[in-house]
Amino acid sequence: MVAPYERHQRTTQQDSLRQRLPVVIGLIVVAALYLLIRLITFQYQPTFVTSYYDRLANLNYTDNERVASSRGVVYDRHGNPLASNTFDYEIGVSPSLIADAQGASTRLASALSDYGVTEVEVLNAVRSDSPWISLANPVPPDVAQEVREMDLLGVVIDSRPKRLYPQGTLGAQLLGFVAGDETSLQPFRGYNGVEGYYENELAGRVRDQTTSLIPFDLPTQRAATDRGSDLVLTIDRDIQFLVESELQFSIAESGATGGTVIVMQPRTGEILAMASQPSYDPNAFFEINDPELLKNPAISNEYEPGSVMKVLTMAAALDIAAVAPEDTYVDNGVLEVGGISVYNSDRRARGVVNMEQVLVQSLNVGATYLSLQMGPNDFYTKMDDFGIGRATGIDLEGEAIGTMYTPGDENWSESNLATNSFGQGVAVTPLQMITAVSALANDGLIMQPHIVHQFVDGSRVYPSQPSTLKRAVSRETAELVTQMMVQTVEEGVPAAQVPGYTVAGKTGTAEIPTPLGYEPDSSIVTFVGFFPADDPQAAVLVKLDRPAGYWGSVVAAPMFARLAQQLVILMEIPNDDIRRGLQAEGGSVNDVWSQN
Amino acid sequence: MNDQSNWIQQAVRRSPLEGQQQIFALVALALFMAVIIGALYLTNVADTSTTGRELEALVAERARLEQTNEQLRIEIAQLRSVPRLIARAEEMGFRQAAGSEVEYLVVQGYRPPQPLTVAPVEEGQDNDNLPLYDETFMGWLQQQADGLSRQFQNFNETYGAR
Repeated sequence: MVAPYERHQRTTQQDSLRQRLPVVIGLIVVAALYLLIRLITFQYQPTFVTSYYDRLANLNYTDNERVASSRGVVYDRHGNPLASNTFDYEIGVSPSLIADAQGASTRLASALSDYGVTEVEVLNAVRSDSPWISLANPVPPDVAQEVREMDLLGVVIDSRPKRLYPQGTLGAQLLGFVAGDETSLQPFRGYNGVEGYYENELAGRVRDQTTSLIPFDLPTQRAATDRGSDLVLTIDRDIQFLVESELQFSIAESGATGGTVIVMQPRTGEILAMASQPSYDPNAFFEINDPELLKNPAISNEYEPGSVMKVLTMAAALDIAAVAPEDTYVDNGVLEVGGISVYNSDRRARGVVNMEQVLVQSLNVGATYLSLQMGPNDFYTKMDDFGIGRATGIDLEGEAIGTMYTPGDENWSESNLATNSFGQGVAVTPLQMITAVSALANDGLIMQPHIVHQFVDGSRVYPSQPSTLKRAVSRETAELVTQMMVQTVEEGVPAAQVPGYTVAGKTGTAEIPTPLGYEPDSSIVTFVGFFPADDPQAAVLVKLDRPAGYWGSVVAAPMFARLAQQLVILMEIPNDDIRRGLQAEGGSVNDVWSQN
Repeated sequence: MNDQSNWIQQAVRRSPLEGQQQIFALVALALFMAVIIGALYLTNVADTSTTGRELEALVAERARLEQTNEQLRIEIAQLRSVPRLIARAEEMGFRQAAGSEVEYLVVQGYRPPQPLTVAPVEEGQDNDNLPLYDETFMGWLQQQADGLSRQFQNFNETYGAR
């Protein structure tokens, strides 16, 4: 039985509950409605709000990784890799994942002992509280593979891409080098040479890749198109090696301080070899203290060309008909021009001299006579046609433009006309000079010198085409001067002759200018020539700096001859008799070098 | 007729516990279905996850093999470097030919070696012609539709031209 009081109290509570309950229910309904409305309106936020929340959400289940592309490989014209990619490895441990600390330490220490890692060090690392500890960096691929094969849980092997030049020092200056770049998205950047000039093509693209952290999301495919383009150069590795070996030998033999050799295909402008000494190992460029050594002297060092310039002066004079091939002049051994006296190198007079002998005897007075016959306007116009004083535009980083003052320049005077005609007071790069002389081997046409033969972008191949820069002289003039150069070698520089082959060429011996005049007893000697003279397949420039033998005919010409004798074998150029006989029989020779 | 209606009434008559039993049965059925669907879902997710892991392992293996290939290419290039070839040739008794020792012959129809064109196979090239599907219902539908389309195309090619 329930007491009346209790019944009354319960009734009161129930009444109170009945009165309050609608209020509570009402409040809950209002709150629910509010939440419902918020939930609905939340679905229709402005874009910047939704993208903000998307980003927040993505942060929780995705990982952004910056994927650097693989750098393109550089090959020589026959497919031998000159610059390639490899990896260095870093070996580390995650101590918390290693179960058998002692065993793992013993095995790791045995693999890494060559890198100064002891068992005690590994054991300390494995027993530490750090989440990750590096043990050795860098280690080569074979050591990384040995560690990988141990299959130890908790041992981390990270790879680090690295540029490698498998041919060592071969072609170092024309290839350039690759170094770390903290200012760029890419981990590396190419400097100098091909690596610098074709940085954008070789480097490929950096891609930000988002990876899902959700275990059942399938891994995303990496794009294959990010890889840098491969480059096939016009360089022939065997010729490059020959040239570098000969250059080193000649420098040692002559006591020169340095030198440069360029081998060019005169019909196409292809550079077959380009070497300078001193050089460096691009795999260890960081050991070089003098940044000048990292440059390519063949395109960046200017020098006074000396008598090689007389070839261009003669071609210019004949081309504008300032003189005729059969013309003569009286050589008194000295000529006054613009307040200076120009002498022949031996200070001797020659009397009546024809045009051919100007080159054969390398007469300064004769060259000056030619420039005076032309006058400054025509002389400098023709020199400009030959590309003197302007960059050739070769596809290598770091090309210098040379120096040639012309009428109107503050530094020009009438005496410059005289001295420039035989290669003094004008500065060129070795590449400019061989490009200009190659025009004479190519019927008077200046070809664009170039170093890249093909671009390979994925499965697409883009061959580079030879292009003509301009006509420097007429075909007839080119043939005339070629004949004079042949005579020059036969009569004036027999040391440059190659048995069985007709060589056209010219020596140059130039003093070395300083702010106070010219260096005493020092010279830069050059020889520029091409062969076979009637069907030129190769133009060669050799240059030695400060050799013990002062004259080009003594030092540079024999070097040229030694080099040419090997080149004709490598380039499969038969001697003149055989070549003409083969051609008469319908044989095709030298297609490799004349085709593109 | 009367007997028959009685029998039907007997059969469909509501028992005293009928309401509770039905609710219980429905809940049990719902639970059973949920368990079945959950099990299927878990199986599917586990399969996908395992496949994902396997793919990741394969991708890592591919990357490792690519690195190994790069390294092997480097080793080959170093083994074929000019100084090493010269040394090896000298070991084998060869020497450099002089110009006068080289003979040239006319070989009719012979084309001298041309400069090589180096064109590596592009990554992923093998898969370029494969249709892309994802693991969604629409992807499955697309797969079926493509399959039917291919069958129809084959049928047309086989019998359509007659």
